Amino acid sequence: MKRIILSIFAMSLLIVSCSEDNDDNISTEPLGAYEDGIIISGEGSPSSISYISEDLTTSENQIYFNANNEATGVYLQSLGFNDDKAYIVVDAGTITVVNRYTFEKLATISTGLTYPRYIAFANDKGYVTNWGDPNDETDDFIAVVDLTANTVINTIPVGNGPEQILVEDNFLYVSHKGAFSTNNIVSVINTSSDVLTTTITVNDNPDEMIVDNTGDLVVLSSGKPAWTGDETKAAITKIDMDTNTVSTTLEFSDGEHPELMMYLNGNLYYNLGSSVLSITDDATAVTSTPLFTTGATTLYGMAAKDDRLYFVDAVDYTSAGQLFIYDETSYSLINSFTAPVVASKIYFN
Amino acid sequence: MIRVVLFFLLLLFGSVAKSQTPTDSIQKLDEVILSDVKLKRYAHGYKVTALGDSLLQKNRSSFTDLLRFNSNLYFKENGYGMVSSPSFRGTNASQTAVIWNGISINSQLTGQTDFNTINTTNFNSVIIRSGGGSVQYGSGAIGGSIHLNNTLSFNPHFDNTVTLSYGSYETKNIGYLSSYANDKWSFNIGVNYIDSDNDYKYLNTDKRNTNGAYYNGSVNANVGHVLSSKDVLKLYHQTFIGEREFSGTLSSPSLAKYEDENFRTMLEWSRNGDKAFSKLKVAHLQEHFKYFGTKNTENFTFGKVNTYLINYTADIDVSTDLKLKPIVSYNYYEGSGSSFEDPNRQEFSTTALLQYKPNEKWQYGLNIRQDITSGFESPLLFSFDIAYDVTNYYTLKINGSKNYRVPTFNDLYWQPGGNLDLVPETSYQIDLGQEITYKSAKLNFNAFYIKTTDLIQWKPNTTGFWSPENIAKTQNFGAEANLDITKRIKTHHFSLLMNYAYTVSEDLETNAQLIYVPYHKANVNLAYAYKRMSLFFQHLYNGEVYTTPENLSGRFYSVEAYQVSNLGVSYQLFKTKSQQIDVSLKVNNLFNTAYENVAFRPMPDRNFNFQIQYKF
Repeated sequence: MKRIILSIFAMSLLIVSCSEDNDDNISTEPLGAYEDGIIISGEGSPSSISYISEDLTTSENQIYFNANNEATGVYLQSLGFNDDKAYIVVDAGTITVVNRYTFEKLATISTGLTYPRYIAFANDKGYVTNWGDPNDETDDFIAVVDLTANTVINTIPVGNGPEQILVEDNFLYVSHKGAFSTNNIVSVINTSSDVLTTTITVNDNPDEMIVDNTGDLVVLSSGKPAWTGDETKAAITKIDMDTNTVSTTLEFSDGEHPELMMYLNGNLYYNLGSSVLSITDDATAVTSTPLFTTGATTLYGMAAKDDRLYFVDAVDYTSAGQLFIYDETSYSLINSFTAPVVASKIYFN
Repeated sequence: MIRVVLFFLLLLFGSVAKSQTPTDSIQKLDEVILSDVKLKRYAHGYKVTALGDSLLQKNRSSFTDLLRFNSNLYFKENGYGMVSSPSFRGTNASQTAVIWNGISINSQLTGQTDFNTINTTNFNSVIIRSGGGSVQYGSGAIGGSIHLNNTLSFNPHFDNTVTLSYGSYETKNIGYLSSYANDKWSFNIGVNYIDSDNDYKYLNTDKRNTNGAYYNGSVNANVGHVLSSKDVLKLYHQTFIGEREFSGTLSSPSLAKYEDENFRTMLEWSRNGDKAFSKLKVAHLQEHFKYFGTKNTENFTFGKVNTYLINYTADIDVSTDLKLKPIVSYNYYEGSGSSFEDPNRQEFSTTALLQYKPNEKWQYGLNIRQDITSGFESPLLFSFDIAYDVTNYYTLKINGSKNYRVPTFNDLYWQPGGNLDLVPETSYQIDLGQEITYKSAKLNFNAFYIKTTDLIQWKPNTTGFWSPENIAKTQNFGAEANLDITKRIKTHHFSLLMNYAYTVSEDLETNAQLIYVPYHKANVNLAYAYKRMSLFFQHLYNGEVYTTPENLSGRFYSVEAYQVSNLGVSYQLFKTKSQQIDVSLKVNNLFNTAYENVAFRPMPDRNFNFQIQYKF
């Protein structure tokens, strides 16, 4: 009996391992040419999207145009990814829904959006930040999109100039950079009720946000630059998302106005011009000592994944952009690729 | 800065021919008797071509189309009827001066003229002067200058023309021109209104130009009065008021709207003294725009500049061989706008033009100019030109000049970014021309070289905003060929006009061709008239242009070369000694070609225009 049990156990192991082997051997159909790789969007004009394979051996520019024989419009602000779809958000007031692996167009959302900026997803709904008329500081809103019908089904009024949007549990966090003027808040929206719960005041012009390993929301505010005649300090602000209150504010010196931020393996990276700096989660102050300087003329976007740091260069805003890939530890350049005109955002597919 | 032109000097002496050739009804560049004395007397070594009023009235197309199909100029037009900026010999839009009755009307805000805010039908002639003209015409006359002229004749007459047209995209145009004179008074008035939905189909797509509607109205009113046998007073006025939606791109419709208001008024007193023919001019120009990012709101940004100008000049015949023309001018500019406070600028300029004609074969011109400007130093400008009649049929022309383009209000005062340390762009050039005239055929060859330094370019700076700097250097060189033949066989009139330009315009650091400058551009106009009927065909070839500095070809890096043709037919329904009715039909884009002039901004499909014109 014992031997039978053992043999059954052994057989089951065999079966399990066999099935594992089988799994390894079955070559799953690729979902599309752009599965597993780096997606770069460029504002333009003309705006476009580029792809670079994960192993960095192949790259292709204008993938949306190649798949659909049409351009992406002015200006391509950002992309959003949800399930097997990608959402291309264009300032002029459209979101184009594509298959994220083939970039073939599936649908267009063109009503109910005014100056859309970024999209996030929760509860089968899309949430899109909208400036409204950028000259009007009171008509800004979050558009709620039914992801099945691809229509705007609701709007949530918010403060001026909502920019990036991030989902954490049942809440949306929206940084308000202030559109054509300036703002200093992060809005918190409950996705069960689609109601604005609170706003958190941070330093001027909050834009990039990430959630760090300690579970805090980290917001980068670039402050008002000196030319405004009313310079204010840039800051990295950490927000406790349980209480929605600021736990730490790390301010920069006057004249330092970082605009980009990324996070990898416990290090928070930000920029000063084309230079890259970093602090750890427990830092009590920001640093002004660069780790290295990228090859970018106009550093315009950054992202990090799997021991690599990615940077896009908008160059002179008219030439083709550049993507630079650096090693996370040695800060040495691994490779570079041509990227869209005014390359601005980096995504991992 | 600009000295005002001596108009109609010849008219005063009663020796002007009407600016209509025998092939009046034929669409071509008419060589007219020039009314601008500077253009007539002080431009012998330059290529000067003219579009007479017959062409302006017959071919009532936009100013952009008129020049695109009849000259070497290249235009960058953001979709039909939208912002249109010229490139003259590969220079940029702020290096082409537009001169209204002798005064530069380039915007003080942008430095350029939007050619879709000028209605040409109210002018008697449009003259294209190729080559540097800053000494005569001030800032921006680097590639060349375009002159819009009204003439006031004191030959007794009373002429009226009413034109009505209707065309595709609900395009409606009404125009009225009236001209009256006796030997003391001369009046002419032109009123024009155009309105279009401009919602043309984007060929090969299911989209239309949804936000491209425009309307504009313009009034030109000019009065001349003979005060005494020596003194004549003239008043010129032009108003242009227009509203345009700004169409988007192929994939992104737009909601933007733009309003223009331009007012120009000039009073001129001329005195024909014993020693000199002198003129005093005072003028006021106002430009005003409003930009609505979203047309259905009341939120807009604006810019406005008032220019006040006083100018004195004299034409002196020092001897029979030698003519001298000194000019002094004072300009005051005051601006206001959403992006700057209330800056102002002053300019005082002195100019001397000298023309020497030792014999029938040679003409020499030598000209200098110095400006004193608040805010920055202007260079000493000069130009020279020589014309040599080798034979009766063959003339050699050469001219060289130093020219400039001053920083604009936007360059200096825009917040943020405006740079008060800018200096004017300066440019040297040389132009060699050959002109062969035989009977009613004329062939021109020109080769030119232009080098421009301290080019003002807006660049992102380290503090995160854009700021202009005097950084770029460019060189332009190329060749132009123009052929103009008219032929009459009994009652059949034929004419052929061809223009071709090869243009290299490159950044001296990268040696790359500048964006939106085609290497090749050519057009052909064929016309035929027989009795009451006339027919014309025009064809344009516009070479590929790069849209990025790297000079790559392809959908995202360049705009493909295109060819487009128009066909027109006109019939004289009725004619008596004092009355005439013409009807005409024009087909634009005859072959229904899909083309773009600026990347991702399609141009119209085949469209029609029907016109009826009554002269009495």
